[in-house]
Amino acid sequence: MWNYEKKLEYPVKIHNPNPALAKIIVSQLGGPHGELGASMRYLSQRYSMPNNKVIGLLTDIGTEELAHLEMVSAILYQLTKDMSIDDIKKAGYDTYFVDHTAGVYPQFASGTPFTASTFSSTGDAIADLNEDLAAEQKARLSYDNLLRLIDDPEVRDPIKYLREREVVHYQRFGEGLRSVLDQLDSKNFYAFNPSFDKKK
Amino acid sequence: MNDKMKTLKRVQMYSFCMTEATLYLDTHPTCKQALEYFKQMRMAYEKAYDEYVRKYGPLKASDVDCDAQEWTWIKGPWPWMNEEGKKNVEL
Repeated sequence: MWNYEKKLEYPVKIHNPNPALAKIIVSQLGGPHGELGASMRYLSQRYSMPNNKVIGLLTDIGTEELAHLEMVSAILYQLTKDMSIDDIKKAGYDTYFVDHTAGVYPQFASGTPFTASTFSSTGDAIADLNEDLAAEQKARLSYDNLLRLIDDPEVRDPIKYLREREVVHYQRFGEGLRSVLDQLDSKNFYAFNPSFDKKK
Repeated sequence: MNDKMKTLKRVQMYSFCMTEATLYLDTHPTCKQALEYFKQMRMAYEKAYDEYVRKYGPLKASDVDCDAQEWTWIKGPWPWMNEEGKKNVEL
C-alpha cells in the first residue's frame, strides 16, 4: 500500500505566472512521455517480473514517478496561479482555460487527454524492460526540449532535477534488464517470451 | 495462521483504523473524541509495526536493517503473491 508524505521530492518555487510555459509543461504530467504514464507503466508491469531485483526496482521507480507527478503539478499550479485574462489570451492558454480554468489536468501539450495507450504491460519482462529504457530516454528528451524553450531559472531548476532522475532510472533499468537476461538459459538465446513459457 | 501473518494482521488492522479516523478528522478537525481515538490507534499501530519489522523485516525501504549483510528490502514474497507466486520468483 501507499502513504502520502506532505512534502515535494525536490522544491518548486516559481514566482512569475507564465501560462505559455504551463501549456507545454503539462505534457510531462499527462502526455505521451509524462509522469502519470511512467508511474502507471512501472506499477502495472511489476506483477509479471521474474526476479526480486526488478520487482523492487519497478515498485520504487513507479513510486518515485508519483512524486514527480506531484512536482510537475506544483510547477503547473505555480505558473498559472495569479495569471490575468490578458496573460491567458497572449499565451494562447485560452483553449485549456475554457475547459479547466487554472485546474491541473493530465493531458498532452496538444490537448489529447492522458491515455493508457501511451504505455504497455505485456506480461513479458524483456519486452517491458526494453520499453522502460526507451520511456526514460523519451522523458529525458522531453525535458531537454522543455529546457530549450524555458528561460526562467525558477522553472528550469526543478525541470533539470526531473531530467536528471530520468538518466538515473535509465541506468537502473539497464541493470534490471541485465539481471533478467542473465536468468535465461542458453536455449533461450533470442530471449523470446521467457516469463510465460518457462512455467509450462 | 502463523505468527508472521498474525502480527501483519494487527498492523493492517490498526493501520486501517488510522486511515478511517484520518478521513473523519479531515472533515471534523476539532473532534476531541476522534483525536483521542487516533492517538490510541497510533500507539497500538506503532507497537505492532515495530514488532513486525523486528521479527520479519522491512515494510518500508527505510525500515531496513543496515547491519544485515545485504539489502533485505527486495526479499520476497511481495504482498500480492500467494505461495505459488513465491516459487516463481526466487532470485
